[in-house]
Amino acid sequence: MKIQYDTKKSLVERIFLLEIVKGLGLTLRRLFSKSVTIQYPKERKELFPGFRGKHALIRDPKTGTARCVACMRCASVCPARCISIRFTTDEKTGGRKLESYEIDALRCIFCGYCEEVCPVNAVVLTEDYEYSDYEREPFHFDMEALLNNWDKFVEKNKIDPERYLNPFLRPRGLALGELPAGKRMDVPEEWTLEGQVVWKDGKAVSAREAAAE
Amino acid sequence: MPENKSESKQTTVQHMAYEPYTVAMGPQHPATHGVLKLDLELDGETILECKPTVGFLHRGVEKLAENISYAQCLPLTDRLDYIAAMANNVAYSVAVETLLGIEVPLRAKYIRTMVMEMARLTGHLLWLATHALDIGAMTVFLYCFRERENLLDMFEEICGARLTTSYTCIGGVRQDVTGHFLESLHAFTDEFPSRIAEYETLIDKNRIWLQRTQGVGVVSAEDAVSLGLTGPTLRGSGVDYDVRKHMPYDAYPYVEFEVPIGSKGDVYDRYRCRMEEMHQSNSIIRQCIEALPPGPIRAEDAPDLVMPYGPQKVVEADATFSSGIIKLVEDRKRFIKGDVYVAAEVPKGELGFYFVSDGRGVPYRMHIRSPSYIHIGALPFLCKGQMVADVIAIIGSVDVVLGECDR
Repeated sequence: MKIQYDTKKSLVERIFLLEIVKGLGLTLRRLFSKSVTIQYPKERKELFPGFRGKHALIRDPKTGTARCVACMRCASVCPARCISIRFTTDEKTGGRKLESYEIDALRCIFCGYCEEVCPVNAVVLTEDYEYSDYEREPFHFDMEALLNNWDKFVEKNKIDPERYLNPFLRPRGLALGELPAGKRMDVPEEWTLEGQVVWKDGKAVSAREAAAE
Repeated sequence: MPENKSESKQTTVQHMAYEPYTVAMGPQHPATHGVLKLDLELDGETILECKPTVGFLHRGVEKLAENISYAQCLPLTDRLDYIAAMANNVAYSVAVETLLGIEVPLRAKYIRTMVMEMARLTGHLLWLATHALDIGAMTVFLYCFRERENLLDMFEEICGARLTTSYTCIGGVRQDVTGHFLESLHAFTDEFPSRIAEYETLIDKNRIWLQRTQGVGVVSAEDAVSLGLTGPTLRGSGVDYDVRKHMPYDAYPYVEFEVPIGSKGDVYDRYRCRMEEMHQSNSIIRQCIEALPPGPIRAEDAPDLVMPYGPQKVVEADATFSSGIIKLVEDRKRFIKGDVYVAAEVPKGELGFYFVSDGRGVPYRMHIRSPSYIHIGALPFLCKGQMVADVIAIIGSVDVVLGECDR
């Protein structure tokens, strides 16, 4: 497709600076339209679930501590290698006991791989993005700090820790068979493979509905 | 003797007046779009020679990739062309899938095409914003960021990040789309052509804009091809080359779109090309939304995110269950020896990934053919004989990002 290069102007356009008047008219119109700016500290944008923010270890309501089973999947998938885990192995049963779990948030690149591969939903990137400090030390999260992050997140956003849902804890559009048992949570219908959305007649409907019609 | 002396003095003065002098433009110059340094040799205001210096943003992505698995390298591609990270993700995934021989499900292909065109819009919007700002049109900058913000919000909804998306995975995409996302994107495509008309009202026929862009940085079709230009920079010169048309990947064979071609090859032509491309991208997004098929979003044989380094032993049960034996077999087919070059059309041009694989889980060598690097290589040719003020317009029109150039 050839594009137009024609910029010839009529005599009137050449004399009366019409294009400049039109441009100024547009900015004048926009002056009276609704502003799209968010005045940040006073008003905050609502984030979508799954925003990759501050790290946390989910505190299991039953045991009161982290769910981590020291499978090392997060530490081995991390591209920045910012997760370090220490554990002891029980010689009789071969079970692992978590000793320490550390995340260096300044090394982290926030790809969300750790929470996606975690089979028990222990580690999560919460939707909290406001954390800053004057020193490096507070960004080196040990296990206590990570559990505290979770408590603060729960308190601040008033969420039910048992019902907390994040698209990285249970990826949207995956069949149940592809997920480990710890990730098979109750989710909205459009997150499941059967209920995934398609476009029909000018609106998004679930594939199941579209097939039924 | 006195006569001689005065004569020699005169010649020195003349010599001084015509001696070319060098100006270092950058690496901290706001109009060089990052940390590009140009050593300009000037005769008055005319450029005799322009020497670009790159490498200030070198992070060694190609070397890093040799030590991490294919899946782990994907977040690094976000940081190449950080303006349109989604397009890099798709380009990288397509290249790795070609190497490993993975067929992506149709739904994932459509979603990828959709997000890639969204990335093209974000890239072109930021290009238009900064290009216009460099030349002196401030309002366009603000208006472009308004639409870019909407697109970034949608990125946030599907993948949880606005810029460093890491949305695709090898064999598909990481998350399915939601109904809210599709509806807001469809509403955006309804509105967007009128927004492009707004930008055009502001600058398209503006006489200052025309004088700054027309006849500046002209490159003929032959020169453009021999300089290795790609993308809208090449198409502005009238060469019909688009990876999406000529080596289609993902869902591009299934959507209809046209490739805008320029004629004169100057800055204005490249500007018109990109504006027309935004219309085409908008139409591709609409087609993808309306044709989005149901189905899985990851290929069945897609590797796990925790990719093994080297051939992995997989557990295979005896199919007949007669012996009750579970076998450990080496899964070698996933780690093919050989090399592959796969290109994709990102907003800047042709982004190619060249892999040499020696059968381990990591590439023996990964080379990135980044359009920005090659476009910067064309700057000495384009700037020669132009005015200093036109260098800004030329850098803007070839659309370089230094993160991708230095990688």
